[in-house]
Amino acid sequence: MTPSEYNYSEFVASQDEFNDFALHAPKVTMRAPSFPLEDLATGRTVEMRELWKSEIALIEFGSFT
Amino acid sequence: MAAESMERLAGQYANRAVRSVFLYTREAHPAENYRHHRSMDDKRHHARAFVEHSSVRRQVLLDDLAGTAHRAYGMLPNMTWIIGRGGMIHYKSAWTSEADVADALKGVLEFHENRAKNKWVAFYSERVAWSPRDMRAFKQGLERNGAQAVADYERMIEATKATRTAPSEEIGPRIPGNYYKAENES
Repeated sequence: MTPSEYNYSEFVASQDEFNDFALHAPKVTMRAPSFPLEDLATGRTVEMRELWKSEIALIEFGSFT
Repeated sequence: MAAESMERLAGQYANRAVRSVFLYTREAHPAENYRHHRSMDDKRHHARAFVEHSSVRRQVLLDDLAGTAHRAYGMLPNMTWIIGRGGMIHYKSAWTSEADVADALKGVLEFHENRAKNKWVAFYSERVAWSPRDMRAFKQGLERNGAQAVADYERMIEATKATRTAPSEEIGPRIPGNYYKAENES
C-alpha cells in the first residue's frame, strides 16, 4: 500500500477492515510490534517500545476527522 | 472520536504508571477543510488543529505518512490498545469506548500491581462490547470537516444499508466495529 493509497481522499467504509482487525492484527497475549513515531510537540522520534518500557501503555489511534 | 472521555481517563490513571498517548493516523473522513495527508506537514497541521480543538493533553505521536504502525495494528480509525510493561498486548478494541477501556485497564492494573503475591493464570479471551454513540456530535464533526465528509458518509450508509437503530441480538448486527457477516450477506 502506497502512502497515497493509505491516505485516501474519499471515505469509503469497508467491512473487510474490521474482519482484518479481528483475524490478522496482533492478538492479545502477543508481543506488541514497535515502530518509530514522531512526537508532535517536540519533533523527536519515539520508539513505541519506549511507551511500555516502564509503564502500562494506553494507546488510542485516531485523527481529527 | 472518544477524545474527551479518554482525556479524563488518562488523567485518572496518570499517577498509576499508565502512559496514555494518542497515535495520529490518516484522516478518517477527509474533506474540504481537512484534506487527506500528502505530506508530514499536512499531518502535523491537522494534528495540531485536533489538539487545540479537543484540548488534548496526552502525548500525541504521529505515524509516518505510509501509516506503518497503523497498518500493523489493524488500520481501524479509532482503535485502543493496552500494552503491559514488557510489551505483551493486554487489550485491543476495534472501537474506543471509555467504559470498556476503563474496565480493561482495571484488570491490567490488578495484574501488574499484585502479580508478586497472587498466582495468576493468564488466558486468552474475546468479547463483544457495546457503546452508545453521540450521532449528533459525530455529524457535527463531519460538517466541520466539510461537505464532502457528510456526502461520503451518507453514501456509505446508503451503499451498505447500515442503520444506527438499536441492534438486535441476532448475529451480525450492523454496528460500527462489527465484522461478522450473516449467511445472507456476501
